[in-house]
Amino acid sequence: MEFDEIKKIWDAQNNQPLYVLDEQALHHRIQSKKKGVLRYANISEWGLIIVNLFAAGVLISLNAFTHAANVFMYIEAAWMFATVVYVAAHRSRRVSSSRRFDRSIHGDLDHAISVATYHVRLARIMNWNLLPLGAIMIFSGWEAGKLLKVAAVILVSYALAFYVGIKGNRVNVRRRRELQVLKEKLEAGA
Amino acid sequence: MTEKEQLEILEEWLMLHKGLIFKVIRAYTPADHDDLFQEIIIQVWHSIPTFRQEASVTTWLYRIALNTAIKWTKKEKKHAGAGPLDNIQHLLQENKTAMDERLAWLYDEIYKLDEIDRSVTLLLLEGYSYKEMSAMLGISESNVGVKINRIKKLLIAKSKKYDNHGIR
Repeated sequence: MEFDEIKKIWDAQNNQPLYVLDEQALHHRIQSKKKGVLRYANISEWGLIIVNLFAAGVLISLNAFTHAANVFMYIEAAWMFATVVYVAAHRSRRVSSSRRFDRSIHGDLDHAISVATYHVRLARIMNWNLLPLGAIMIFSGWEAGKLLKVAAVILVSYALAFYVGIKGNRVNVRRRRELQVLKEKLEAGA
Repeated sequence: MTEKEQLEILEEWLMLHKGLIFKVIRAYTPADHDDLFQEIIIQVWHSIPTFRQEASVTTWLYRIALNTAIKWTKKEKKHAGAGPLDNIQHLLQENKTAMDERLAWLYDEIYKLDEIDRSVTLLLLEGYSYKEMSAMLGISESNVGVKINRIKKLLIAKSKKYDNHGIR
């Protein structure tokens, strides 16, 4: 072979991709991201169900044991039970809808995006749900004649929960955005 | 330069010139492609604010990729036998189906050369002038000329052996 021929062999590679996407590794990465979003969604759902059930139980018990007959506390407890029903229903719908997705790269990625989108929406709704809950608690304090003290404590704690909720949801939004960018890249490369 | 601008430049360079980086990686390491790729990308990233457009982007990238590969090879030799630092699973793998046997042979022969000769060979095959090679590698033009003569003779001799053994 003369050097010109060696150069031709070298130049020929410019028309071929030297490297290809390792689909198995990509699939593993997507599956791991999917597991991550599913885990966070599960934690949020169970957290909301347990916290609301516990808080509603405490409110009803307090009302019953102190014979306060505070109607706002019952409304608050009912609202919390409604929240539990809402979260449980949506969780059940989310779990059953997971059968729609196949186990391919695109199926797993779509599933991960779907769960991340669901989680962002759930977190937003639950965040705004704090406003009526806070308002009812203030009315409850008012009826009990402890407006200033109770209202101050409730306002501070609910405002704090609202702020933490908004901050926390930014992580969910970012996670969803990463998955959407990955999907756009895959579609662009297809 | 903001970090966002830097990232946009990196993505554009990678999109247009990643083939160049892969050639350097393939010539410098038969196995740890991901590690060297990562190292080169980090160096390219750091170099972006200092790029003054006095050289073309490809020349700039070749300079960084080759220098990084040379340093990396020396470091690897020093730490030969040590285990991998991590088990990060990367997403790129060699396209073995597309690799021409003769090209694989050529890469093997380049890999057998010392670090500087590998760089000279890559730049020679890419069509760079003596002057550009000298500037990129920090060796004199006459030294580049001597090396090129030697490398050409060596590759031609090896190719004859390769042809005679009927591997093609």
